[in-house]
Amino acid sequence: MNALPIDPALAWESLPALFDGLGVTVFLTVLPLLIGLALAFPICFARMSPRRALALPAEIFVVFFRGAPLLILLYLVYYGLGQIEALRNGPFWIVFGSPFGCAIVALSLNHAAYMVEVLRGSLLAVPHGIVEASEALGITRRNIFLWVRMPLALRYGLKAYQNEVVSFVKGTAIVSVVTITDLMAVANSIFEQTYDPFTPILCAAAFYWAFVNLIRVGFTFWGRWLGRHTAEDAPVALPGRQGLGGLAGRVKVTP
Amino acid sequence: MSARAHAPDLAPEPAILLEQVVKRYGAHRALAGVDLQVRRGERLVICGPSGSGKSTLIRCINALERHDAGRIVVNGIALTNDEGTVQDIRQEVGMVFQHFNLFPHLTALENCMLAPRLNRGLSKAQAEKLAMAHLERVHLADQARKYPARLSGGQQQRVAIARALCMEPRILLFDEPTSALDPEMVKEVLGVIEELAASGVTMICVTHEMGFARRVADRCVFMDRGEIVEEGDAAGFFEAPESERLRHFLAQILR
Repeated sequence: MNALPIDPALAWESLPALFDGLGVTVFLTVLPLLIGLALAFPICFARMSPRRALALPAEIFVVFFRGAPLLILLYLVYYGLGQIEALRNGPFWIVFGSPFGCAIVALSLNHAAYMVEVLRGSLLAVPHGIVEASEALGITRRNIFLWVRMPLALRYGLKAYQNEVVSFVKGTAIVSVVTITDLMAVANSIFEQTYDPFTPILCAAAFYWAFVNLIRVGFTFWGRWLGRHTAEDAPVALPGRQGLGGLAGRVKVTP
Repeated sequence: MSARAHAPDLAPEPAILLEQVVKRYGAHRALAGVDLQVRRGERLVICGPSGSGKSTLIRCINALERHDAGRIVVNGIALTNDEGTVQDIRQEVGMVFQHFNLFPHLTALENCMLAPRLNRGLSKAQAEKLAMAHLERVHLADQARKYPARLSGGQQQRVAIARALCMEPRILLFDEPTSALDPEMVKEVLGVIEELAASGVTMICVTHEMGFARRVADRCVFMDRGEIVEEGDAAGFFEAPESERLRHFLAQILR
């Protein structure tokens, strides 16, 4: 055995397979993130509704799907739902009959439950006075949400959202238990073939690390762009900064 | 109605009419049956000890607080629970708050452009022209590109005034516009409000700035414990208060 815990030749040979696995992991991250976010909005509105008939089911949803371990959720969807004959013969079997479909459903529900709370906390952090000022200007509730509450909530909630996304990425590794060959499953199969535990697992770890840090960097830039109002004057006056974002194009100086 | 109407062609109805307006917070009566009429173009100052209901009163006029009983008519529109009515009234009534409540994620200019663009469908160029004109009016055209965090309190409040003016309201409500300002900034804000007062807009200002009240107000109203205790023209109001409660209040603030 050489001094390094990893075998460079094996690592090199494994790269194509690991990239395939990474592709699956990215797919199983991005799609549930989008579906989960889309689900989180209406559930969050229901959760914040003064009407008990709306708020209670939303709260139960959050308590259940946030409380259920993702692994158990995945088993239930993948193995459990297959026991229901009506479902097997119904149109939704396209989704629940495939491990990908099941993984996407379970991951989306899990993410949605977390995002409802992230979203709710961010919306509640918007100062009431600012919302009142918008109301006093005669802006409709819908427009207040789109132009005032949501843009501010995004700024307040960005860090919490980043945390959720990062932990979610790593959480996708459990899909390997339902026969999906994601990054983790690829590493595992290489280990089983070679009996080298270090090389494939450390390579997979490096891939996860790179993916997560790419996300982190993305969030950092996003946060910097959103937070420009706290840091400096409008970038418009500074020609060198126009590339930073939309604001530069949105306002023009009229002397 | 008063005989002080400036022109014979003015509509006879008052700008604001309040009849027996009651607002309750639980068992506490914040407004205990208030009657008040404000003529078009009149400049009214409301003062009173903290908790006397003066903020609640003006916040009922644009339905930021919903009154529990009585009648409120603004520019001929009777305020009901109907959302459309509320929106109609808010188009006519501008409001300036104690804590400015600017949109922190928008520049001074964008703060002023938002409501005209959303409510009146102005194009970006039109809204910008309008906003610049009103920022000019509050002597802040040179700060238009700055975010609120970059402006002093006095400047922020003047942006808030310009923002309200951009909806070209016929009535302006000021809720203690200088109470959150450092002393050296009070003057610039009061100066702007005095300039507006000369323009003929109907104005209700909750303030303890007695010098300002003397210079600007056509009429002063003293509130205590949810009711109007005394009213009169500015001179008599301060020089010869009739009620014991107003005398006591003036003694407190003019110490």
